[in-house]
Amino acid sequence: MLNSERSPITGKRVQLMATCLCDAFYDDVAAATVEVLEHLGVEVGFPESQTCCGQPAFNGGDWAASRKVVRHTVRTFAGDEPVVVPSGSCAAMLFHGAVLEFERERDLPEVEALGRRTWELADFIVNGLGVSSWEGRFEATVAFHRSCHSRGTASGEAALTLLRSVPGLRIVEFGEGEQCCGFGGTFSVSFPNISAAMGTLKLEHVRAALPDVFVSADMSCLMHLGGLAAREGKPIRIRHLAQVLRDALKGGIRE
Amino acid sequence: MPSQPIDQFARELSPETRASVYQSTKTTHEKRTKLLFDQFADPNRLRTLAGEIKQHAIENLDTLLPQVEARLTGNGAKVHWASTAQGACEAVLRIMQARGATKLVKAKTMVSEEIELAHFLEGHGIEALETDLGEFIVQIDHDHPSHIVRPIIHKNRREIARSFEREGLGAYDDDPGTITRRARHYLRHKYLAADVGLTGANFVSAESGRIVLVTNEGNSRFCLAATKCHIALVGIEKIVPRDRDLAVLLNLLGRSGTAQELTVYTEFIGGPKSAAQPDGPEEMHVIFVDNGRTEVLASECREILRCIRCGACLNVCPVYRQASGHAYRSVYPGPVGAVLSPLLAGERFPQLADLPKASSLCGACNEVCPVNIPIPDLLLRLRQRAKEENVPSPGTPPMGAWALLASQPTAWRAALAGGRLMNHVPTKLIPVPALQAWAAQRELPAWRGGEFRKWLRQRRSR
Amino acid sequence: MSDDREAIFSRVRGALAPLRVRAPLPQYDTEIAVLRQVLAGRDLAELFGERIRKVGGLAFFTPAALVAHLRTGGRLHGYCDPVLWPGLAPHFGAGFQVETAFDRTRVDDYAFGITRAAGAIAETGTIILNDAATSCRLGALAPWVHVAVVERSSLFADLPQAVAGLGDDRNVVWCTGPSKTADVEGILIEGVHGPGEQIALVV
Repeated sequence: MLNSERSPITGKRVQLMATCLCDAFYDDVAAATVEVLEHLGVEVGFPESQTCCGQPAFNGGDWAASRKVVRHTVRTFAGDEPVVVPSGSCAAMLFHGAVLEFERERDLPEVEALGRRTWELADFIVNGLGVSSWEGRFEATVAFHRSCHSRGTASGEAALTLLRSVPGLRIVEFGEGEQCCGFGGTFSVSFPNISAAMGTLKLEHVRAALPDVFVSADMSCLMHLGGLAAREGKPIRIRHLAQVLRDALKGGIRE
Repeated sequence: MPSQPIDQFARELSPETRASVYQSTKTTHEKRTKLLFDQFADPNRLRTLAGEIKQHAIENLDTLLPQVEARLTGNGAKVHWASTAQGACEAVLRIMQARGATKLVKAKTMVSEEIELAHFLEGHGIEALETDLGEFIVQIDHDHPSHIVRPIIHKNRREIARSFEREGLGAYDDDPGTITRRARHYLRHKYLAADVGLTGANFVSAESGRIVLVTNEGNSRFCLAATKCHIALVGIEKIVPRDRDLAVLLNLLGRSGTAQELTVYTEFIGGPKSAAQPDGPEEMHVIFVDNGRTEVLASECREILRCIRCGACLNVCPVYRQASGHAYRSVYPGPVGAVLSPLLAGERFPQLADLPKASSLCGACNEVCPVNIPIPDLLLRLRQRAKEENVPSPGTPPMGAWALLASQPTAWRAALAGGRLMNHVPTKLIPVPALQAWAAQRELPAWRGGEFRKWLRQRRSR
Repeated sequence: MSDDREAIFSRVRGALAPLRVRAPLPQYDTEIAVLRQVLAGRDLAELFGERIRKVGGLAFFTPAALVAHLRTGGRLHGYCDPVLWPGLAPHFGAGFQVETAFDRTRVDDYAFGITRAAGAIAETGTIILNDAATSCRLGALAPWVHVAVVERSSLFADLPQAVAGLGDDRNVVWCTGPSKTADVEGILIEGVHGPGEQIALVV
């Protein structure tokens, strides 16, 4: 496991890292995350000075630039409460990527400490809080994209555990489920041809399974796939896991 | 916005080649996964263990190399050392010249591709013939392998049949059975006429000095049954500490590479043939090749030296599947090549510094690697090295301004609000290259910067 | 040459010097590399027969069955290990031409080659040849049909046991099924350079 060493959960207060994508495009996903956590009796704090996890520059090789952002993030999320992120990708940046780029830095211990208390949402609910079933109702056939940053973590299984427990929700498998959607951050713009080919293939597989909703725990994959599908003129209905859980509490799919 | 070289290569690849590469890599990958998970309770434990064995070996080469040298010498083999590609080629030539030998048959070895041995020997009047079917076809076509295990994954049977016809190996016939039979007939007489058989090594046991070779076709066995002199070209990272470790590694190699429980021929060569045996080499030479490996060992990417060349990471890689092997412009393609090739390039690192970018960092390569190499982490380290060395990288957006923005909360919030303009301006008119590249293929969602923060404040004030 | 040796050793030492800790040599039970559910409760010879068929080979348990198979395939001319031949000859009736010396100038004349195996591996259906047991390397390789005579007592259960039993022979070869390739369009073709039929005669 990439994140096997973790600080134990004490108390019912967390800090939410909304992620830059939700901050800029997908406000409802961040809102759903808050509602889901509050439903579980968790008090959600939101440090207003948060920005981004630092991953774009890290992946681009500009580690100096990335470290600048990570240092800001470490300061922003000070304290010892768990940090919950509705994105496997940003969570992995904090507990794995940041540690890699700080290997030779003096403030590595602070970065590692933040990593140990950073949780992807589904992982936090299932393995942090010990909640493995969900209530409400969500009448829909769901295709779940296990995003790549959940490899080597418990997040993918955790999300599926929750989804499978939602009354009315049916999961459909689709071909080559282990394959990447083709987003990959800056990869999507510096390898436009391969990125789109990967995305198109993923969409073909997903569409063949005839789901009502296409769900993931990462908005970056969904932004890429949803954007490709819309450009093809064959839009698909995308939802973040948090939205599905929130909507289940309210009776089902909301448009 | 210009895209990366590998992306451009993929765009120009023929749909036929892409389809055949995609289909065969996908099939092998799926069979591999089924085989491992059906047969072992926890294949990941096996992969982790194999990784630990190889990591121990490469981190103890200072003691294991002298040990293996002593064992090989004790077994009756002659050991040679080559720092460079040139040195390795010359060592082969010297051995041949000392025997007055002019004909060499060779089994598949990636090191010989790396040092361009066949080309070198031909330049010195020596016939150096590839005997692996795929490599033989590559050789008659003056082409390059495009996959570590499946050298002609990029070719179809019609192209091969035309090559055979051109080389006088029979009238056009694209039946794979006929192609194979013709190669069988042609090559067996070449083995028997050859002076020297050259192989690589999949593993070398430091405990016994045994060289382990695996092939499916039996060509390396034929080289060692027909000729009187064996030369093994071995990368210095091929050492394993003990014989018992071979059971773990062999279990993984066949399954990972070709979805076989065991490769057909597994040879354990401890020295020249015994006196009573009529067939096989009376003389055995082992050439240990560095050619950049010690530099890799000194780097922060030394885990890549664990690689056992199974090709599983190529088969699972979505980028390899779209781009095929030649896109990587080096002997080692795919994820392992994206790490290894720029490292082995030495001073030519900048020329191959784009390779580590050819990844969405999806991590599938690490997940299938039989020796659990953290390939994505190594790709990231090399991206960082390229940035540090100021290697230009087409299509990669600059990050300085973004980092400034993302470390100043006030500026960040202002940008969140200001981004709304995007909803009112046609995307085409926004002069941000990355945005243009995105929008060329995908719709952009509506900008809703700051909406969540507003919602949360309202919820809290209730 | 010796310069290269010293240069390589010195670079290796230099590369490893900064490592504060070296990766330890893992200690493990080789049981991890055994297909226990395949082996559980099975007679090794019977399992070996099953597994060799799974990899495209064949197993016979009587010389008569082997001879019938060769006759059906029209494989009438072959090579046989001189030590084995006196025992096998009575089973080969008229019509067979068997030589006990392998002439490498006529490799294509032999439709089959019969040699002695040093052992076999039940788990994988593998025939083990070595320099001491196997009369000639080419006789086990060049003919279309290779028959290895495997003694029941020489069967290893699994890979780790077979590795432990490599012995001191300078040349040990595990043959798992017929020679094969999938180089052309991924299509499996048997009999590339070595035998197209890999047969074990279990005695």
